[in-house]
Amino acid sequence: MTRSLLGLFLRAFVVLTGTALATFTLLWNAPGDPALAIAMARFDAVVPADVIDLVRAEAGLDAGFWAAFRGWVVPLISGNFGNSSVTGRPVWPDLASATSYTVPLALAGLAIGLAISIPLAVLATRHPGSWLDRFAVGIASLGAAIPAYWLGLLLILLFAVKLAWLPAMGATTPSHVILPALTLGLGVAAALTRIIRSGILEARGQPFMPALKRRGISEHALAREHVGPHAAIPVITVFGLELAFLLEGAVMVEVIFGRPGLGSFLVGAIEARDFPKVQGVVILAALLFVGINLVIDVIYRLIDPRMGTQNA
Amino acid sequence: MLRLSDVNVKFGKTPVLRDVSMTLPAGQTLAVVGESGAGKSTLIATILGLTKLDKGLITWANVPIKACRPSLVMQEPRAAFNPVLSLRRSILEPLSAKREVISETRLGQLCDRLELPLEMLDRKPREVSIGQAQRAGILRALIAGSPLILFDEPLSALDAVTQKHTAQLIADLQTELGFAALIVTHDLGYAAAFSDDIAVLREGRIEELTPTPAFVQNPQSDYGQELRAAAFALGALEYVA
Amino acid sequence: MRSVGFLVSALVALAVLGPMLAPHDPTAINIAARLSPPSGEWWLGTDAFGRDILSRLLHGARWSLGLAFVISLIGLIIGTVAGLTAALGGKAVDWAVMRVTDSFLAFPELVAAVVIAGILGGGINSLILALSLTSWMRYARVARGVGLSLRTRGYVVQAKLAGLSPLAIARWHYLPSLLPSLIVVWTGMFARAILGISALGFLGFGVQPPMAEWGTMLLDARIHMRAAPLLMIWPGLAVVACVLAINLVGDVLRDALAEKDSPQ
Repeated sequence: MTRSLLGLFLRAFVVLTGTALATFTLLWNAPGDPALAIAMARFDAVVPADVIDLVRAEAGLDAGFWAAFRGWVVPLISGNFGNSSVTGRPVWPDLASATSYTVPLALAGLAIGLAISIPLAVLATRHPGSWLDRFAVGIASLGAAIPAYWLGLLLILLFAVKLAWLPAMGATTPSHVILPALTLGLGVAAALTRIIRSGILEARGQPFMPALKRRGISEHALAREHVGPHAAIPVITVFGLELAFLLEGAVMVEVIFGRPGLGSFLVGAIEARDFPKVQGVVILAALLFVGINLVIDVIYRLIDPRMGTQNA
Repeated sequence: MLRLSDVNVKFGKTPVLRDVSMTLPAGQTLAVVGESGAGKSTLIATILGLTKLDKGLITWANVPIKACRPSLVMQEPRAAFNPVLSLRRSILEPLSAKREVISETRLGQLCDRLELPLEMLDRKPREVSIGQAQRAGILRALIAGSPLILFDEPLSALDAVTQKHTAQLIADLQTELGFAALIVTHDLGYAAAFSDDIAVLREGRIEELTPTPAFVQNPQSDYGQELRAAAFALGALEYVA
Repeated sequence: MRSVGFLVSALVALAVLGPMLAPHDPTAINIAARLSPPSGEWWLGTDAFGRDILSRLLHGARWSLGLAFVISLIGLIIGTVAGLTAALGGKAVDWAVMRVTDSFLAFPELVAAVVIAGILGGGINSLILALSLTSWMRYARVARGVGLSLRTRGYVVQAKLAGLSPLAIARWHYLPSLLPSLIVVWTGMFARAILGISALGFLGFGVQPPMAEWGTMLLDARIHMRAAPLLMIWPGLAVVACVLAINLVGDVLRDALAEKDSPQ
C-alpha cells in the first residue's frame, strides 16, 4: 500500500515536471523574438535595439534554455509565479483572482450536471429499453455533440436577448453565474448520464446479483448495498475525466460570457504574448488536475486494493 | 544433446523450478509428466528462452540453447495461428524471418507426410479442424529445421481417435527426421507409450528421471508410484505394461 | 451497419462535393446584400459582409471534416506507435512511454491545444500540430492495453520463436487485432477534432478569415447576435450534425465489435 502510494506521488511529480518542461519548450521555441514582443507590448511603439537587449537580459532570455527554465521553476516551487512581461506586476494575484471566478463556476456546473444526470440515469435504468431510457440516452448523445460555446451562445440568445431574464456578459452580480453554469452543467450532465447509466446496468448484471435477489433481499437494499458501490468506481473515474471537461468548458464559457476567470486570463495572456502569465495558468491548471487525480487514485486504492496491482 | 544443469526459476520470490537437471540425447524422446502447477509450462518457457533463469545453464550440443532455436508445438492448435492470416503465412514464418524460401515441391512433400492437402494451407485457422490445425503446427515446427522440438500437451485438445493418430505421427516423423522431442504431458499413458525416458516434475523439482520401460515396471520415487497407480486405476497403462 | 455506410458516405460526400455544390463564392463580399434573411437567392441568408451562408457552410465542411480527418489520423499513428512501443519494449520503456502519455493526459486536451495553437500563431499548420499533439493519448492507451493482452497469445509467442523482428511482429500480429478497437477510438477522436477545430476557430486561433470555417463563422455571427440571430444557428447546427453522425457511427461499430469479441 505504502509502496503504491509512493509510486502515485512519483508519477504525479514526473507528470508535473513533464508538463512544465513541455510548456517551457513550446514558449521558448515560439515564433518571433520574445524580447521584441515584450518590448512592443510594454512600450507600444518602435523600440530601439538596445532597449530590446535590455528587456532580453531582464527577462532572463539571454541565459540559455536550461538557465531560463531553472530561473522559472526554482522560484515556482516556493510559490512565486514570476512577473508579467507586459505589465511587470506579479502574476500570482491576477491568477488567484481569476481562479476565484473559475472555481465557483466549475463547482456550479458540476452541481447542475449531477442534479440532472443522477435522477435521469436512475429513472432511465428502472426499465432499460423503455421510452424514458431511450429519451435519456438520446438527450445525452445530443448533449455530447453540442459544443459548449454554441450552447452558451444559444442560451444567451434565448435568456438574455429574447427573454431578457438574465444578464449575459461579465460577472458583476451573482445572477451572472447562472447562464455560464447552466452551459457547463448541461455538458457535464450529458456525459455523466451515459456513464452513470451504464455503471448501474453493469452493476446489476454482476453474476452475484440474481443470487442476492433470490435470497429475498429487497430491491432497495440491493441498490444501496451492492449496485451503489459497484457503480461508484466508474463514477469516480468519470469525475477525473469531467474535471478536464470542466476546465475546458470553463475556458470557452468564460470567453463567451466575458467572465474574468482562468479561461479569459489564458486567452488574454496568449493574445498579449505574456508568457509568464501563460506559464502560470498552465502550471496552476496542471497542479489542480494532477492533484485531484491523485486524490481519486488514492480513493480507488482505498475502495479496491486490487487496483494497485492492475494499474502497474 | 539437451542438457539442463541446476536450473532455477523464480516468479518474484516464489520458486517455480528448483535445481532442475536433466538430459535429452539427440533424436530421443523425453516425456515430462506432472500435475498442473508442477512447473511444466515454465520448464518449456525457460528452455525456449521466454523466461529468464535465476541460476543454472541450458545447452544444446554444449553451446547455449539459444543457438539451437528449439521449436514449439502448442496445446491449443488454433490459438497458435494468427486468426487473420493464412496457415501458409504462419507456417513459413520461421523461414521468412531468416529470409529463406522453401520449394513448393518440398512443402508439398511435407504436407503429404502430415496428411494436409497443400491447398488447405491457404485457409485461415478457423476453417480447418483442430486435428488439422495441430498437424499444421507440427509442420511449422518441422520447417524451422531445429534439432529439438518441444511439445506442450500436444494431444490434450484433440479427440481420442485423433490423439492416437497424432501421437503415432509424431513418433514416425521423429524416426524419419531424427529430431529430439521433449513432450510435456499429464497423460502418463501417452508418455509411457511414446517416450524413451520419463521425468516426473513436482512442485518445481525433478522427482526422478527413469528410462520408460523401467518406470512402467517400477517408478523410483513415491510420487512416481502414485502417478503410476493412478494411471493403472484409469486403465491408461494397461496396453503398455 | 447499413446506416453506418450511409452516414459515412454522406459525410465523405459533404467534404468532397460540398464546395462544388455551393451556389456562390464563399468569400465574395457583397455589401449591398449584407445580413440578408434567407431567400430564393440566399437560401440561408448572408453574413455581415454579404457572403452567402450556405456556400460558406459547404466550403467549411471541407475544413472541418478534412482537417479533422488529417488530425485524427496523425493522432492515430502517433498513438499506435507509442502504445505498441510501450507494450513491446519491456518494463522500462513501458514506464517511460506511459509517463509521457500521462503528462499529455494531465492537461485538458482543448486547453493544451489553445495554448499550442495560440503560441504558434493562427494558421492551418499550427492548428493541425496543436490538435494532433493533444489527441494521440487515447490511441496509445488502447494500443498498449490490447498489445499487452496479445503478448502471451500463442501466435505471438510462435512469431517470437521464429525470430521475427519486433517491427514485423507489430505489423503482422498486433496491428490486425488492434485495428477494430483503434477504429472505434478513431471515430470518437474524429468527432472531438471537429469540435476542437471549431473551438479554436471560435477563439481566433484556428483557421483564419476570410476562409470559411464553422468556428470562425460563429465568431463572426456572435457580434451580430441581436440583428441576425439565425447567423449563429447554422454553423452550430452543422457542427452538431456532423459530430452526432460520427458518434453514431462509432456507437454502432463499438457494439458490433463487442458482439464479435463476446464468446460464441
